[in-house]
Amino acid sequence: MPLIETVDIIKDYDMGKVKVRALNGVNLSIEKGEFVAIMGPSGSGKSTLMHIIGCLDSPTEGSYILDSTKVSELRKSELASIRNKEVGFVFQTFNLLPHLNVLKNVELPLMYAGMKFQARAKQAREVLDSVGLSDRLKHKPSELSGGQRQRVAIARAIVNNPSILLADEPTGNLDTQAGSDILSIFSELHAQGHTVIIVTHDMNVANRANRIIKIIDGKIVDGDLAA
Amino acid sequence: MAISLRESVEIGLADIKTRKIRTAVTVLGIVLGVMSIMVVLAIINGMNKSTMRWMEERGGLNKIEVRPNWDMDYRQWRQANFSFNELKLIRSLIPEAKAFNPVVSANRYPLQKGGISFQTTIKGVYPDMTITDEWDVQTGRFINYYDINNYHNVIVLGSTAAKELFDNKNPIGEYVVLQNNVLQVIGIMETKYLKMQGGWGDDNALEYMNKQAFVPLTTMFKKTTLDQAVSQLEIKANSPEEAIELRKKVQNIILNLKQGKKLFDVRSAKEQMDEMQQNARIFTTIFVLIAVVSLLVGGIVIMNIMLASVRERTREIGVRLAIGARRMDIFIQFMVQTILITTLGGVIGIILGYAILNLVGKYLDMELAASLSMVYAAIFVSVGVGLLFGITPAVRASNLDPVIALRNE
Repeated sequence: MPLIETVDIIKDYDMGKVKVRALNGVNLSIEKGEFVAIMGPSGSGKSTLMHIIGCLDSPTEGSYILDSTKVSELRKSELASIRNKEVGFVFQTFNLLPHLNVLKNVELPLMYAGMKFQARAKQAREVLDSVGLSDRLKHKPSELSGGQRQRVAIARAIVNNPSILLADEPTGNLDTQAGSDILSIFSELHAQGHTVIIVTHDMNVANRANRIIKIIDGKIVDGDLAA
Repeated sequence: MAISLRESVEIGLADIKTRKIRTAVTVLGIVLGVMSIMVVLAIINGMNKSTMRWMEERGGLNKIEVRPNWDMDYRQWRQANFSFNELKLIRSLIPEAKAFNPVVSANRYPLQKGGISFQTTIKGVYPDMTITDEWDVQTGRFINYYDINNYHNVIVLGSTAAKELFDNKNPIGEYVVLQNNVLQVIGIMETKYLKMQGGWGDDNALEYMNKQAFVPLTTMFKKTTLDQAVSQLEIKANSPEEAIELRKKVQNIILNLKQGKKLFDVRSAKEQMDEMQQNARIFTTIFVLIAVVSLLVGGIVIMNIMLASVRERTREIGVRLAIGARRMDIFIQFMVQTILITTLGGVIGIILGYAILNLVGKYLDMELAASLSMVYAAIFVSVGVGLLFGITPAVRASNLDPVIALRNE
C-alpha cells in the first residue's frame, strides 16, 4: 500500500471567465520513505500537485488517498490536522513570520497541535539544534542569512515529526553553497526515514532524489513507475 | 481543538506592540466614546446626588408644600390664604399626616438688639416645623403649643442670625426687638450646610435658612403688623409613597375649600424629585446616545483597520493555515485582537475620563459621582464593540483560501 496515491486527479482553476486546467488526470503513487523530485517547467502544474499532496488544496475531480485515508472526503478541520501532523512544508521564499523570533516560528505547528507551552519550547529547541541553529533562537528572520532562514523553515516543517516533507523550490532563493547545505539536510532527513518530495526545475536538485517525476501541461510524462 | 485564549492574546499583544502608532489611531474613537460616557454619567450622577441632598436638607421626600399658585390672576392673590378655621378643618381632614405646619413669612425684616440690627426673614410657624422640615434646635428649645395658645413673646434664631446679633455670647434668655415687641430668645436652630454646586470654597447653598428667625404663628398675627395671611402650608406624610396620596387629598380639600379656584399649588417633594430625575434621564439618554454614536464610529474605524490588517497579513494567514491552523484558530486570533484593541481603548478611556473628572471636579467644585459600575459598563461596552466589529475581519481572515493566501505578495 503506497503512502500517497492519486487517481485521475483533475484540478481546474476558475480565472473569471476562463477555466484553466492545472492538472489533467494525474496518477501517481509514492511509497513511504521515498525521496522524490517532481520536475517540470513553470506552469506545468507541479506546484498545484504539491498543494494537493499537502492537503492545502483539493482536486476538482479524482481521488487522493493519503496513508489509506481518502482525503477528498475529509472536512476542512481534518485537513488542517493533516497539514499540522502529517505534512511539513518548505517554501522557496521561506515563509517565516517576520515578527516572531526563530524559536517562536518553529513552535507554531506545535502550538496549533495543542502542545503545552514548555514542552513545545523544548521540542523546538531540539529540532533547531539538529539543523545547527541553537545559537540563533532569539533572532528575528530578518537577522538571518537565506540559508539560515531555510533551515529554520525546515525545522518548522519537521518539528511535529510528519511522515511527509514537501519542498517547493527550496533552493530557488539560495546561493549554490547554501543550496547544497539545504539539500544535504533533506538527504539526511530521508535517511532518517522521512518521505521527501521536492518540487524543482533544477536538474542538480532533482538528481539528489531516488526518483524523478516529470510533469508537463498537467500530466505526468515520465517517472510514475513505482520504485 | 483550537489554540488557547492565552496564545491568541499573546499573538494579539505582539501585533499591538509592533504596530503602536496604528493601534493608537485605531483606539482613538473608542477612547473618546468611553471617556465621554464616563464624564457625562458622572456629572449627571453627581447632580442627582446633590439634588437628593438638597431635598433631604429641606425636609426629605415625605414633605408636601402648599404655596400660592404663581399662574393665577393678580386679583386672586388676596384670596390665596387660609383662615384659622380653614387650617383647623384641613388638619382634621388629614389625621394620617405626621405633621402640619402653616407658615407666614415676612421677608427682609429687621430684628434689633441694642444698637445692632439684622435683616432677616421672620417666620410665624407651628411646633410641627421641626418635623416637617426635619430641623431642630441645637440649643434651647423650639416653639411649643403652650407658646402658640398664649401668644408668647418668644423667638428661635437661625445660627447666623444669632451670631450677627449676639456674636459669641449665649443668646438663650436674652431679648430682641421686633417692631414694638420684646421677644425672648428660647432656642438656636442647628446650622444648615450644603456645599454650593459650582460655587467657591465653602459657599453654603442653605445659608438663607440660617438667617431666618421663628416666632409662634399666633404671636406674629396678634402682636405684629407683619403679613397676616397664612398662604403656605407644610405637611409631612409617613413615607414618600403616602406623600403622593396625601398630596392628591390635600389638593382636593383645598380646591373644595376655595370653590374650585386653583389658588394653590400642592406639591410633594417625592414628585418633584421624580420629575427632576425624569428630566435628568432625558439628558442622560441624549448624551449616552451621542457617546454610543462615537463608539459606533470608533467601531467602524477599527473594523476598517482590521480589514486592512487582514489584507496586509494575508500571507501570514496562508502560512499559519499551511502549518496546521484551523479556520477557527484564525477566526479567534483576529477576534481576540480586535477585542484587545477595543478593551485597551476602553481602559485608556476610563483613565482619561477619571483624569477629566478630577480636573472638572477641582475647577468647578462640583460633585461628580464616578462609580465602579460605570467602569464595568465601560469595559463591557468596549468588549461589545470589539465583538461586534471584529466579526467581519475575522470571518474574512478565516475564509481565505490557503493556496491563494500563500501566493499573496
